[in-house]
Amino acid sequence: MELRICHLYPEVLNLYGDRGNILCMTRRLEVRGISCSVESVGIGDNPDLTQYDLFFIGGGQDFEQEVLLDDLRGGKGDSIRSAVRDGRTFLCICGGYQMMGHYYQTHDGVRCEFLGAADLYTVGGDRRMIGNYAYALGEESGGSTVVGFENHSGRTYLGEGVKPLGKVLKGFGNNGEDGTEGVRFNNLFGTYSHGPVLPKNPQFADHILKTALTQRYGSAVLEPLDDTMEMLSHYRVLEHYLRLSRS
Amino acid sequence: MRPGSICAVAACKLTRQALRLFHRGGTALPGKAARLFDPDILKRVSEGMEIIVVTGTNGKTTTCSMLENALRAGGRESLSNKSGANLLSGVTAELTCNATWTGKPKTHYAVIECDEGALKQVAPLISPKVIIVTNLFRDQLDRYGEVMHTLDEIRKGILASPGSILCLNADDSLTGSLAGDVPNPVVWYGLDTPTGEEKEPVLSDARYCIRCGTEYGYHYHTYAHLGGFFCPKCGYSRPEPDFAVTQIEEMNTAGTRCRVRMSAAPYEMEITVGLPAVYNLYNAMAALCACTAFGLPAEECAASLKTVHSSFGRMENFILGKTSLQMILVKNPAGCSQALEYLSSVKEPCRAVFALNDRTADGHDISWIWDADYEKICSSGILQEILVLGDRAEDMQLRLKYAGADTSRITIVREAREALKWIEASPVPVFAFPNYTSMLELREAVRERTGEKEFWQ
Repeated sequence: MELRICHLYPEVLNLYGDRGNILCMTRRLEVRGISCSVESVGIGDNPDLTQYDLFFIGGGQDFEQEVLLDDLRGGKGDSIRSAVRDGRTFLCICGGYQMMGHYYQTHDGVRCEFLGAADLYTVGGDRRMIGNYAYALGEESGGSTVVGFENHSGRTYLGEGVKPLGKVLKGFGNNGEDGTEGVRFNNLFGTYSHGPVLPKNPQFADHILKTALTQRYGSAVLEPLDDTMEMLSHYRVLEHYLRLSRS
Repeated sequence: MRPGSICAVAACKLTRQALRLFHRGGTALPGKAARLFDPDILKRVSEGMEIIVVTGTNGKTTTCSMLENALRAGGRESLSNKSGANLLSGVTAELTCNATWTGKPKTHYAVIECDEGALKQVAPLISPKVIIVTNLFRDQLDRYGEVMHTLDEIRKGILASPGSILCLNADDSLTGSLAGDVPNPVVWYGLDTPTGEEKEPVLSDARYCIRCGTEYGYHYHTYAHLGGFFCPKCGYSRPEPDFAVTQIEEMNTAGTRCRVRMSAAPYEMEITVGLPAVYNLYNAMAALCACTAFGLPAEECAASLKTVHSSFGRMENFILGKTSLQMILVKNPAGCSQALEYLSSVKEPCRAVFALNDRTADGHDISWIWDADYEKICSSGILQEILVLGDRAEDMQLRLKYAGADTSRITIVREAREALKWIEASPVPVFAFPNYTSMLELREAVRERTGEKEFWQ
């Protein structure tokens, strides 16, 4: 078995250690003897996106957004939308997650059109939602608990056609109002969680890998790994910082 | 002197003395007390002084230490806020406590480290003769927002002090862009020569032109986004520095010997910087550039760089029993990767301590450790044993696991005192890489053991 990972826009969407997610995925595949390749696809690159099984998009800075949107309008946006529609697996973090929605509207009313690959939109707020947080994944995403660090002023609202990725246990989540966190649409996983999210949440990491492998091979079994260190840092955040008990 | 100002000076001095009775550093609270009585006290107690301010992401404290050393070499005593309290209250405390009871400065010179966000408050009050902006990298993002926001903050600070001479790093496209936005006279420093592996950095905080958005080209790299950058479209490029390292002759764990050119002199000087690593070369050039702008002889400052000592947790050396310990503060990916690069250049077997806290002074978001290049030291094979320490020791351990460390050689502890036992038991040299508050704790544990001075002395 093999998995081809596409790291979208690593040169601009790389804030907050999100590349740790790529490290985590490749490592968890390699120790299981599953070969894995990671290709960076950045601004100006135009490879055939249908050759990839899993797409990763991280968070970024405001300054660089314009450069990025120009590139998306140049055709890559269409390819990404098709890949989402075809059920390719996507992990999108923070800015990358917002970018999958219809638009981002700043709090003074300026609207920035995004990809519209998933039915959601984001509105800029004046309060930054920052801190360690936790959410319970929906059953379709494995049902485990995720801990992470959120840092966003945008408030994201989900449309009819999509599900939240999980339910907030502590923290703000999508908008600090409706208790939802992230999005799950087809095989697209969107979340605000930095940290990076995958190393401390090995069950979620494996769920995403399994989704991508299943999509390609029809079924996939991932043998369990020794996750003692992963869970030590998971429980440290859950218990010490969030005062939540192990489920 | 207004009565309010006299009360302010008294409040500052008395608060500090009271705090020190209880063995507290008292670096910020006395300043707050003084400002209650006179919000402009800082302006009054710095009246007539000649001041150099150092701001920027990395290298502030070490550059200040080099400047103080240079001033001292010429027989000039200077004040500094060396304990690291670099916000308005901390700077106020330092200058007010060192004034006479009637608010007159006791020393003529001061070297002030200033937080990037606090510059706009501090600079207009103390009217510095020279402001150094060292560099700009992603830092504690959950507090300052993003890199561009920090740059805006620095710009506001400089605009509030239009008479100051600016010393800018020519190799940094971010802070270098300040020159076009402010009326101040500018002097540049930099490295004319590549360092390290001379490769495109994996992560760059400035990949696209700050003026037009086009990807930069580089004639050479030094580290992170620093180097000989140019924009192929709009022409924004590295300015020719007035002070620059032209050649690195020798670099080891004791320091660096290199050749330096100055635009004002027809010959090159050979200088020795008494602290190792590339980033200290930048700090040395910043100090040399600023001293000259300040009116001191360049040769005098250049010679003083040889005798500069490490400051407060920045490559500071200790002996614990038979073990040597070097402590290197790391707070962000660029600085951390450079410190790890330095560790990977060590030739003998050694052990390492990685300490990580996530308190307010550190930034609550510790995900930046995934952007620092721990892979490099984990693959070098020189680390016999590893200790992880601090509030987020588990995260540090996990980072090292994914960087390829042998997990059976990692020990995890929470408290600095426990770490000290581990360090003392080491038969080989130990290098410790703590972030800010974990450095304070580790240093305090060392101090208890060795009876060394408290940090404000």
